[in-house]
Amino acid sequence: MRLFWEFTVRSFQRHLTYRAAAVAGLVTNFFFGILRVSVLLAILGEQESIEGYGRAELFTYMALTQAIITYLSLFGWYDLMNAVHSGEIATDLLKPMGFVSFWLARDVGRAAVALLLRGVVIMALYSLFFDMVHPTSVAQVTAVAVSLILALLISFGFRFLLNLSAFWSPNARGIGRFGFTISWFFSGFLMPLAFFPAWVQQIAHLTPFPYALNVIVEIYTGQLTGPALWQTLCIQLLWVLLLFTLAHVTLRTAVKRLVILGG
Amino acid sequence: MWHTLTLYRRLMSVQMRSQMQYRTAFVLETLSTAVIVAVEFGSVALVLNRFGGIQGWTLAEVAFLYGMSETAFGFMDMIFAGFDPPVFGQHVRRGTFDQLLLRPINITTQVMGSEFTLRRLGKIALGLAIFAFAVQANQIIWTPLKLAYLPVVMFSLFLFFGGLFIIGATITFWTVDSIEVMNILTYGSSFTIDCPMTIYPDWIRRFFTFVVPVIFLSYYPSLYFLDRPELAEAPSFAPFLSPVVGVGLLLLALRFWHFGIRRYQSTGT
Amino acid sequence: MSIITVRNLRKEFKVSKHHRGMMGTLRNLTTREFTLVKAVDNIDFTIARGELVGYLGPNGAGKSTTIKMLTGLLTPTGGEVMVNGRVPHQQRQLYVQRIGAVFGQRTTLWWDLPVIESLELLRHIYRIPPDRYRQNLHEFTSLLEMESFLNTPVRSLSLGQRMRADICAALLHDPDLLFLDEPTIGLDVVAKERIREFVRHINSARGVTILLTTHDMADVERLCSRVMIIDHGRLLYDGRLQTLQDRFGGKRELVVDFAEPYPEVTVPGATLTHYHDLRATYEFERQTISASELIGLLSTQYRIRDLSVREPDIEGTIRRIYQEGLLTGDA
Repeated sequence: MRLFWEFTVRSFQRHLTYRAAAVAGLVTNFFFGILRVSVLLAILGEQESIEGYGRAELFTYMALTQAIITYLSLFGWYDLMNAVHSGEIATDLLKPMGFVSFWLARDVGRAAVALLLRGVVIMALYSLFFDMVHPTSVAQVTAVAVSLILALLISFGFRFLLNLSAFWSPNARGIGRFGFTISWFFSGFLMPLAFFPAWVQQIAHLTPFPYALNVIVEIYTGQLTGPALWQTLCIQLLWVLLLFTLAHVTLRTAVKRLVILGG
Repeated sequence: MWHTLTLYRRLMSVQMRSQMQYRTAFVLETLSTAVIVAVEFGSVALVLNRFGGIQGWTLAEVAFLYGMSETAFGFMDMIFAGFDPPVFGQHVRRGTFDQLLLRPINITTQVMGSEFTLRRLGKIALGLAIFAFAVQANQIIWTPLKLAYLPVVMFSLFLFFGGLFIIGATITFWTVDSIEVMNILTYGSSFTIDCPMTIYPDWIRRFFTFVVPVIFLSYYPSLYFLDRPELAEAPSFAPFLSPVVGVGLLLLALRFWHFGIRRYQSTGT
Repeated sequence: MSIITVRNLRKEFKVSKHHRGMMGTLRNLTTREFTLVKAVDNIDFTIARGELVGYLGPNGAGKSTTIKMLTGLLTPTGGEVMVNGRVPHQQRQLYVQRIGAVFGQRTTLWWDLPVIESLELLRHIYRIPPDRYRQNLHEFTSLLEMESFLNTPVRSLSLGQRMRADICAALLHDPDLLFLDEPTIGLDVVAKERIREFVRHINSARGVTILLTTHDMADVERLCSRVMIIDHGRLLYDGRLQTLQDRFGGKRELVVDFAEPYPEVTVPGATLTHYHDLRATYEFERQTISASELIGLLSTQYRIRDLSVREPDIEGTIRRIYQEGLLTGDA
């Protein structure tokens, strides 16, 4: 816990030191957010709402998705891949800590900083400029928080698995890019999933991606309530369990391979 | 001049050969640049198809804008890759830019020849496919002027984006920390012109008209090619400014670039 | 005839102040203060054609700033630089055609290309006449023993091979002047020696003027008759290495093995530091007494079986000069 605190303080200081970079990041994020929401608003046109999304919901969708880009490393995360390719992985595997939990701890630290220093600031900034929808009850806030945590775990599981491909291919970067691009589409990052034709939505819900992003928006804006909300949280949890099991199994195969090949 | 051109060709072929050495990686990365365009355009297409268009523009018309922008940007990103701001910033910080300055050739040529990202062919191919679909589906009434002007617009857009990259690269002489803002100019303009400009708030449209005048390279010419009703409200010369704006911005960028190099030589890093 | 002339050369940088700690980080946000750093502070020197000069100084002393001004990468704040008849930063393209540079830490070669193709490319870049290129390539590859790895991509070369390839690359166009920055860094003894041998050869046989910056004193000892020392931006010393050694070299040692036991033998001008088992060690200073005088004095009075003189090493001398600031104030 102390280590975690130290890490957070360091990150915070680093962020302040690179104030130019931080401001640049915010300005860029804001600008692209407006471009993205303009497209959605134009699709909405004169209508009151489509598929549960009115103006306020669209602004909220845009703000939320922009705010969690770094939290979920949406634009790519290749740390583990780089460690495999550079051979650093060997020393990590020797550490007394579980390999998956070691990387998870690192990622949680990173994500926490991203959420507090970028995510919250970005949400606050958008709230200043636009009429948005916010959670109205303590229960809803709790649901959002739980869902955010589960989403991070899903995202981590997916990214971890994607990065493990480095054990099999020396040029896994392309595979990585592939994966992240697909995840934008199915997670509802490019468009709210509800805007897609029904068959696309059905396919999307067979993958873990909507549960890492789209559901957060739906819970935050109050589109998911009651039993449906509970059901969603359960599916999120199931995906976490499934992805982590997969991660462990795949890792074991990968390590075996590494040992056979002699690293 | 001839010597410089031959050299550029040689440097470029070096870049291509080194990328081809890793065949699988190259194929994968090329595919991934295509997949990005496919997925992004795909999501727009699915939604527009379902709701019948965007502010009176059909999917085919939006595809015209989209294909044009992605193709021109793809070519630029391949050929001007040496100026890609984050990449160039690394060269400056690691001192590899200094090594280019120690060679007896024009520095701009050398930076152009320092990267040539062949994997963008994936993006280009898909951009061209979208554009071909648009040309097909829109039943454009072709006139000789339109036919002659289309490549001019494409090329101007290419030069314009190149100019933006050069400006971004030059800014890294001052700062690398805030280089992310340059994305607003480069990827921002490319993203903006994927859709009709009327959908944006006034200040954004003004920004892309007067500050980064990309509107003259895509939106206005497209009104002309597609015979859109908005053409009547636009100034009659607006669709025809693209070569002036494209070449003009590139020249301006090059002046800034040379100014930046002089300043770099007086301050170092 | 001088190839490099430097007069009152100055380079100043503005550096923004950074405060440390949490409060300091917050202060950085609100204010921006600059300090003026004089990286090179009024230095003068000339180097004649054909010289091989060592340019020394601790890290951050102003060495690389000087080299950057000499190679035209940086514009001086004040003063004059004239190299090979040109002002480097004003006529970059023409100027760099006639110089070569090797920076030990990074390569100028194309990472993914076989060495020979990089060299070919340089032939085009420098417009080297084909005959001349062939001659040079032949000579350098055999002197540097490069034949075995000419077709290997640069990324797979060992550090020593890469360095040799880089040195070869810097010389193919017959430069009048060569800048060598840490050419032996990270190499093993044999590889170092091979490179020194080659550097000496191109200096003496081809008359290439060489300015060498290095932290390896063995490089300096083996190659440079003249050294320049810079610290805090000021040129502290310019002259023969030997003179420096004579002045600051600390004490020499004479070790004597006597043929028979004597009571403690003392000699004027030297101090006895050890005496054990017939072996005596004396310390003495060059200025007080010479080695031959000392040996003369001893051998006339005592029977001596063997003796040897130990010189203080350059490495230690230079370190002392930096650390104790021995040269400061008497430049």
